[in-house]
Amino acid sequence: MMLAKLAWKNIWRNKKRSLIIILSALFGIWGGIFSNGIFIGLWETTVEATINREFAHIQIHNPEFPDEKLINQFISNYDEVEKILQNNSLIKSFSKRTVIEGMASSPTSVAGVKIIAIEPDKEKTITSIHQKLIEGIYFSNRDYEILIGKKLADRLKLKLNSKVVLSFQGLDNNLVASAFRVVGIFKTESKIFDETNVFIKQNDLSSILDEGAPIHEFAIRVNSVELIDTATNILKSQLRDLKVESWKELVPELSLTSEFLYLELNIFMGIILFALLFGISNTMMMSVFERIREFGVLMAIGMKRIRLFILIILESIFLLFSGGLTGTLLGYFSIEILSKKGINLSIFEEGLSAYGLSAILYPTLPFHMYVSLFLMMMLTAIVASLSPAMKAIRLKPAEAIRTYI
Amino acid sequence: MSLIKIVNLNKVYDANKISVHALKDINLEIGKGEFTAIIGPSGSGKTTLLNMIGGLDSPTSGKVFINDIDISRLKPDELINFRLQNIGFVFQSFNLIPVLTAKENVEFIMLLQGVSKEEREKRTIELLNAVGLVDKINARPYELSGGQQQRVAVARAIASRPSFVLADEPTANLDSVAAEGLLDIMEELNQKLGMTYIFATHDNKVVKKVRRVITLEDGKIKSDILQN
Repeated sequence: MMLAKLAWKNIWRNKKRSLIIILSALFGIWGGIFSNGIFIGLWETTVEATINREFAHIQIHNPEFPDEKLINQFISNYDEVEKILQNNSLIKSFSKRTVIEGMASSPTSVAGVKIIAIEPDKEKTITSIHQKLIEGIYFSNRDYEILIGKKLADRLKLKLNSKVVLSFQGLDNNLVASAFRVVGIFKTESKIFDETNVFIKQNDLSSILDEGAPIHEFAIRVNSVELIDTATNILKSQLRDLKVESWKELVPELSLTSEFLYLELNIFMGIILFALLFGISNTMMMSVFERIREFGVLMAIGMKRIRLFILIILESIFLLFSGGLTGTLLGYFSIEILSKKGINLSIFEEGLSAYGLSAILYPTLPFHMYVSLFLMMMLTAIVASLSPAMKAIRLKPAEAIRTYI
Repeated sequence: MSLIKIVNLNKVYDANKISVHALKDINLEIGKGEFTAIIGPSGSGKTTLLNMIGGLDSPTSGKVFINDIDISRLKPDELINFRLQNIGFVFQSFNLIPVLTAKENVEFIMLLQGVSKEEREKRTIELLNAVGLVDKINARPYELSGGQQQRVAVARAIASRPSFVLADEPTANLDSVAAEGLLDIMEELNQKLGMTYIFATHDNKVVKKVRRVITLEDGKIKSDILQN
């Protein structure tokens, strides 16, 4: 306590010099935290959008389906799967899907699409397509309705109530074609998704196919993201003949990038702190040189070297943390405020949507990033003070007392 | 029994391949309660001798006993602790900690000793009262005159209840009035508390006050005189 009090008073001896370091730490850490918040927010928004738009938390397929995507690679025992999912308390909701590669034709053009036949009410609890409609409605009670993306609508020159013909290979390998009326046009964060996916009702598909609509996919949402891995493992053990994958396995590039992102951002903060380290070390060294006589006196009157060592380390910690903690708080509050209001990047919407990124960015920084930042700051402060502290404790009291600067 | 006993003390400095024999065969005993000055011209070895007695420097040969303990055999950290418990220092340039108040400067050494808060407060007030600075307890060193700073330094030196106080040129940076005032306080503390003082000085005012004068010349004791 005595050393802490003295260390705190000591850093204010040369106010201007200390303030330069404190402000450097403040702006460096604030900027670092805020930019990390933006990067992570951007990435998490992307991941969240991908999950909400398409993948949900977990998917179940016939083991061959993910590679070949053939109509006859369906889940034959889907009613058993349904029962298992209904009895799993970790699962919030699930939806069955039929997924067929086919063609969409309008009077003016044709495009390759993924036809996703869904149970509209259940799908609402899994993905957010119903919230992405910019025109029309999310299905009605009428037959043969289709939702298409804005990009596809533009390409096929389709509007609401336009007719579009979907054609695909049936279970008997014959070509099947049917006309659908556009009742809704959606626009998600991803142009590619909007151009290549259409949604129809599973009941309509069943009436087109003699055998009924085959089930290719279960899309599942669990009660919280922390339960995804647990739920996936349980389902894997229960459904050994099917392929159960979490979103991390379904889109490994997203998951891998997330892991690398945290590493990269920690390195980024490390570089900021490394630059600060030299400033602090230099300040502490100057401070020690100015106080050689005083250190001599302190050792003469009975201050042990270890206490002197700790005193200098504490000064360095206080110096960095005065600015660093203020910068951390400013960073935290900046992120907190903007995580609710969002940052509107709509002027870059065109470019962002090409990469599936949202135009509204919600910065965020997980708690573990603050913890690692705190530890890195502590390490920086200690390393910065080691050389000055060693210099101080190597002084000989008799010589130090006679030093005049 | 002597408080301080110096036996065949020699100190040789090697600077730039030139040996300087700063102290030569010093033998000396100083008893408890003495009020002693070590005088001599510049370079005679006064400060070196004081540093040897204070354990701030180590002898080339010979021994320094304090309360029968050979301090030249103590390890560095033991020596620091020994100084903390046994020796008070007053320096020429006051050397107070500038960021601490007069009260905190006096308290600091007791904090190092681990003295309780109540005892520290009591002793600090008593000592600042004794040196006539009780009204300046919250003043920082820069708010005090040179004489006042040196009086705080004296209070600090005896706050740890040392066996003796070493004062190296304590009046050198003071005007004559402040120097007289300081010496009166030290003399009073010597008489009232029996505190032992050893001065290294050029100052005749100090020499007139002390009861024993040891004169050094070229690293040797030239004379050792008791005076009334």
